Amino acid sequence: MKGPIGRRTPFIDAIDKATGQAMYTDDYKFPNMLFVRFLRSTKSHAKIKSLDITEAESYPGVVAIATGEDLPISFGVLPTSPDETAMAVKKVRYQGEIVAAVAAETIESAQLGVEKIKIEYESITEFITPQDSLHKCEPDEQIHPHTKNNKNIHKIAELRFNEPEKEIKSASHIQTGKFKFAGVTHAFTEPHSTLAIWNRDETLTVISATQVPHYLHINLSKVLELPLHKIQVKKPSLGGGFGGKSDPFPHEMITSFLAIKTKRPVKCTFSREEVFITHHGRHPTEMSMSISCDDDGKLTALDTDIIIDGGAYGSFGVVTSYYNGVLLQGPYKIDKFGFRTQRAYTNKHQCGAMRGHGAVNPRYAVETLLDMMAYDLKIDPCELRERNFLPENSFTVGEFRITSNGIRDCINTVREKSDWDKKYGKLPFGSGLGVACGFFISGSALPILWNRYPQTVVHAKLDFDGRVVIFSGASDIGQGSDTMLVQIAAEELGIPMEYVQVEVADTKITPVDLGSYSSRVTFMVGNATKTATSNLRNEIAIAIAKEKNVSVNDLYFEDCRVITKNKSVDLSWMEAVEIAMAGRGAFLESGFYISPKLGGKFKGAGAGLSPAYSFGAFISEVNVHPKTGEVNVVKVWGAHDCGKALNPLSVEGQIEGSIHMGLGQAVSEEMWYKNGQQMNANFLDYRIPYSVDTPDMDITIIESNDPEGPYGAKEAGEGPIHPVLPSIGNAVYDAVGVRMMELPITPDKVLKKLKEKV
Amino acid sequence: MGYYHTPSSIEDALSIADKYNDNYTFFAGGTDIQIYRKQKLDLNEHIIDLSLINNINTISMKNGTLSLGAMATLDEIFVSKKIQNNFPLIAKSVNSVATPVLRKTATIGGNLLVKNRCTFYNQSKGWRDSIGSCLRDVGDICQVTGGKDDCYARNVSDAATALIALNAKAVLTSLNGVEHRLVKDLYLPCGIKSHNLSKGTILTQIHLSLSPVKWWYKKLRLRKTLDFTSLTVAATVNKTGIVRVCLNGASMSPILIKESLDLLTLELLIKQARKHCKAVDNDLMPLKYRKQMINVFLEECWETISQKDTRTQSSK
Repeated sequence: MKGPIGRRTPFIDAIDKATGQAMYTDDYKFPNMLFVRFLRSTKSHAKIKSLDITEAESYPGVVAIATGEDLPISFGVLPTSPDETAMAVKKVRYQGEIVAAVAAETIESAQLGVEKIKIEYESITEFITPQDSLHKCEPDEQIHPHTKNNKNIHKIAELRFNEPEKEIKSASHIQTGKFKFAGVTHAFTEPHSTLAIWNRDETLTVISATQVPHYLHINLSKVLELPLHKIQVKKPSLGGGFGGKSDPFPHEMITSFLAIKTKRPVKCTFSREEVFITHHGRHPTEMSMSISCDDDGKLTALDTDIIIDGGAYGSFGVVTSYYNGVLLQGPYKIDKFGFRTQRAYTNKHQCGAMRGHGAVNPRYAVETLLDMMAYDLKIDPCELRERNFLPENSFTVGEFRITSNGIRDCINTVREKSDWDKKYGKLPFGSGLGVACGFFISGSALPILWNRYPQTVVHAKLDFDGRVVIFSGASDIGQGSDTMLVQIAAEELGIPMEYVQVEVADTKITPVDLGSYSSRVTFMVGNATKTATSNLRNEIAIAIAKEKNVSVNDLYFEDCRVITKNKSVDLSWMEAVEIAMAGRGAFLESGFYISPKLGGKFKGAGAGLSPAYSFGAFISEVNVHPKTGEVNVVKVWGAHDCGKALNPLSVEGQIEGSIHMGLGQAVSEEMWYKNGQQMNANFLDYRIPYSVDTPDMDITIIESNDPEGPYGAKEAGEGPIHPVLPSIGNAVYDAVGVRMMELPITPDKVLKKLKEKV
Repeated sequence: MGYYHTPSSIEDALSIADKYNDNYTFFAGGTDIQIYRKQKLDLNEHIIDLSLINNINTISMKNGTLSLGAMATLDEIFVSKKIQNNFPLIAKSVNSVATPVLRKTATIGGNLLVKNRCTFYNQSKGWRDSIGSCLRDVGDICQVTGGKDDCYARNVSDAATALIALNAKAVLTSLNGVEHRLVKDLYLPCGIKSHNLSKGTILTQIHLSLSPVKWWYKKLRLRKTLDFTSLTVAATVNKTGIVRVCLNGASMSPILIKESLDLLTLELLIKQARKHCKAVDNDLMPLKYRKQMINVFLEECWETISQKDTRTQSSK
């Protein structure tokens, strides 16, 4: 290909971001703008006995106050569990929950106004651990009234195929383990921020740091009881999401409400502590898991029982519950398969979607058990995995359709590059290698909202200036989707990228896209963009063919020209544009994406379905200090099958980012609570690895060319994180002979295991 | 509301301090104080910035004595050839503090007088309001131990650990005059009043002349940068065989063990350290592990300092 597809392409907004020119939500300022600060609960679970805002209302600078009674309609990203209100109504469910909001002329007066609000609580029994929530309680102690059987269980997801439990009981080779994972958070750079403007025409404009403008649009309409056509949501430059901005949030509802109430622009930007409180990160998880295999190392069954700690509200929890199980169906062929996930409500910060959604923790468990199996069977861990890989063009036991699959290339690559065969099991005590694999969806085949619309629509407009503008609701959250749109348009039209510009993530201007989550954008929006620009090219070609009396099929678009092979037609791009627009002016073409119908007919069959799956294999090398238990990850080799790297620079960045984020969860990061109170809600104590903690990385992109992906592309943003964690855990075993069943693998835990071993 | 003062001399700084009595905070590099302000742990109305005062940020060496201006940044000290060549232990210790960016602002004086830390105290006001505050704040109970008398917030100065091991002296200036005092005597075994300094005193210089024949230094932290210490150990052996081992980060004040090498054993060293260490569960690292690491660090330290070889040696 001569165009930009497949070329290492810097992001189109890279210079603006690097030089501070890019406009993030908090950079926007309007005349007469008000600022919001929040009164947050100091209790984990309590009834609100009284709330007195009288003194706050008259505090200098305070313009308006909102409380729970103002916005009583519940909402949530999933229509199946809209269990949250913008502010606490009658009771609070976690420490830090918003109880009231003050809009004032300055941030300081808003904060001082907050401090004038008087509130009294009456404590209710707190449910801090998920185990607490599995037991029956008094009805008035329940965190939410809708949970069944007087328990605080939000969701039980369970699927079973071919009685795995029977197989595991009778199998000749079984591995079983109990695992525990601390919660982790996204730790994106830009805090949550929202600016709402009530326009003179009685419409609402909301500028917000969100991954999901469409879902925010819908939920704003519901909560504010404002028609959809009166709401515009815009996502400006965004400083990272990782799933942490993929819900509609209370502060977005409140800020909008206050803008309507005061008829003035209102802005709120969180402190870092508030970002931690808002959380929505990876669920703390406990699971027991068993796998079995035959004498040849062929996996015969997997069965797992999982409890995830959802915190106070639902968020993506129903999906998370399913993903914990269903995303274990690959990359290995397992015919007898079962799981049960219980998601418990607790009186802590709510959990939700985070990079690698739902499957990161159970992936650690599977890969650890596989390593144990390999050790017991005296089969090389890479070899054991190779014996079990799903083939391309196959189905999993739960009827996931596997199309392209580069997993064998992945493992062979890292095995060779890491010198695995010479090093595994042969390094001196204290050093070791570990391997793990993974797979992930390229977007969910089933959208969150059930309707007859496509999952995304893209418009491509051509005008007299030769510029092509791509209109898409896709949210570039730093992953580079805007650049992807430009690359595809330029590729299809044979023009330089500078001719293509984007209008994105503005619900008034751009057609609906569901948002940046579940690694769907490249696959779905990429396909829609390819269709839209291909239709545009076709329209141009038809006009030229007619005028020049040639066949449409003889026209080629390349190097900013439209030509025939024999050069009977040889037009510059601008000449072609003039012909195409003659008699009708500017025009646009459309493209959309709807996932093919996939999956079985059983309950829960839709969870984890995707039009394509990415695959990957990683090997980590670690040094473990036998006296202190310190784990130093010195190098990671990663190979990821992303189908086709539309922008290898970007894919490498995603894989490197996955290694860094996976490393954090593996060895140092943890949402640390004591009695429902987070102890480390800041970047000093929430310990993300620094550059000096980050290992050398050797990245290989494997291209399996998916038949349905745009130019063969699949996802690369989430899949690579899955193998990182277990490859580190398995390397620790190779180094010092202890199995780490609890994350993060902190030195104290390693030392404890080492002492137990002695 | 606050007032920001930028005196150009020690005398001016002292008179401003005197004028506002207890309602002021000296501001050196500010990397720590700014967080205390943000978290409403420091509510003093007057900030007295010491950065424009001349002659308290220099690094000089005369007749084998090193003088460190208290306002010299940790980075300036680390990159100084005088320090690297003659006092590598100091270079190692200051380079283990925070991050490269913070070290360009943080000062040696600020690090020596860094406030003690506790996981239940170094939190935002909203956080403290939720849990009920502690006796170091406006409460009447230690949230760690449940006691009502003692605060066990930890001294976390890495530089102090090294300078005490090197037997450094501090120059203190107040309206009463200039006082020279051993760095080890700047500290009190109390989480609340952790520094033995009267109000209106400015640390201006640090002097030291001990050039050890052996030294050892190590800091316990989860990451290789940024983290405050969970345990720092610095040790020196001088020409006459006197061993000075200083432990910090584990207790309310630095712990110094000073003994002749001929009389000291590893067992004695560990016994002394454990005896004086009042560690409680107020750090990100678990208490049991931190206590285990006292032994591990001292064993490793002992391997270096007990060797007969008199070459200057150091930790990794």
